[in-house]
Amino acid sequence: MLDKEFLPPTERDLLELIAALLADPAQQDNPLRSPLARLLAHSEWQRERLERLVRISDGYQQVARGESLNLAEQYDRQLRRLEKLARISDRYQNSLREMSEALKVAALHDTLTGLGNRRFLMERLKDETERASRKGLPYAVGILDVDHFKLVNDRFGHEAGDQTLCKIADAIQASLREYDQCGRWGGEEFLIILPDTSLVHAEQVAERIREAIKAIALDFSDSALPGVTASIGVTAYQPGEPYSDAINRADNALLLAKEAGRNRVELAL
Amino acid sequence: MNVLNIPGSQSTPSITADWAAGRLVMSGDSYPENSFDFFGQVINWIERYLKEGEAPLCLELHLVYMNTSSVKAMMDIFDMLEEFHGQGRQVRVDWFYDPRNERVLGLADEFREDCTFPFEICVDAR
Repeated sequence: MLDKEFLPPTERDLLELIAALLADPAQQDNPLRSPLARLLAHSEWQRERLERLVRISDGYQQVARGESLNLAEQYDRQLRRLEKLARISDRYQNSLREMSEALKVAALHDTLTGLGNRRFLMERLKDETERASRKGLPYAVGILDVDHFKLVNDRFGHEAGDQTLCKIADAIQASLREYDQCGRWGGEEFLIILPDTSLVHAEQVAERIREAIKAIALDFSDSALPGVTASIGVTAYQPGEPYSDAINRADNALLLAKEAGRNRVELAL
Repeated sequence: MNVLNIPGSQSTPSITADWAAGRLVMSGDSYPENSFDFFGQVINWIERYLKEGEAPLCLELHLVYMNTSSVKAMMDIFDMLEEFHGQGRQVRVDWFYDPRNERVLGLADEFREDCTFPFEICVDAR
């Protein structure tokens, strides 16, 4: 049975009026009394049905609402996961990229002096040779060998030798122009590449380098050693030839410089 | 099968799971060709271990590089640990990193975010 307290006043009044009429002994023989009693029961039954329907329907709505909240929550969680995944993955990728950059630098540089290594120099030679044949701009190459380097190593040890090589590398680099290239060709040999440079100008640069090396002050040196010097062989690349021909010429000029007493620059035409 | 023993390769970490000791160890780089197959067996092992027994589980990680699908698999594993931890199960992660590779420290820290179970990040002395 429904609690009539919750009914609207007009409905409640009507129901109370009907109940009073049905209970009234004066109406016991009224032919309308029986159908009215049935109508009242029917109305009550319908109201109960309606109430149940509303309850069930509310229940469904509750479930649907819960599901939608749950979905929204799941969506948010997946989104956060995805962001986290991307963040972590990006970090891994960044560290790989940096590692590959570091490897590239390491592959092209000499660890001792920090100058380009032989691989670096070969790439530059290839580039310059291509430029020379394309644009007809000749370049010059110089090979520099430290004089009596073995003496430094033997007398003062390898550490002193390494220190000397670093100072020479610095001296060479400081004597070059902005677009000139240099690197460690091997042992105590350095290669200098001077783009768009005639042999006359190359000689001036080589002389500047030779002077700079001669001026190097060595901490460990004593009066027994006159200081460090270098010999340099210089040549100009001839358009059309393989760059190894130019290197060989510079090498021969270097030999001449050594034979002529070291600490000098020799040119090969 | 309670035994899981996968030797490492260039692209997959080595995995040793000890059911009796409640310990699963993963070491190395992880960029398998098929991460779902590779990590599937790991996830299965952990899931069965957690469902079939009551004993604690310790995950010991010595991982260096991970590709995206490996990161995803690892997050799934941590989610599973989190779920069981929420039910009162004793689970923990010990993540070891090489002190020469400090980046892994930051990455492990990123993984640890949202995990409420014990998750230690420590220097690998091996």
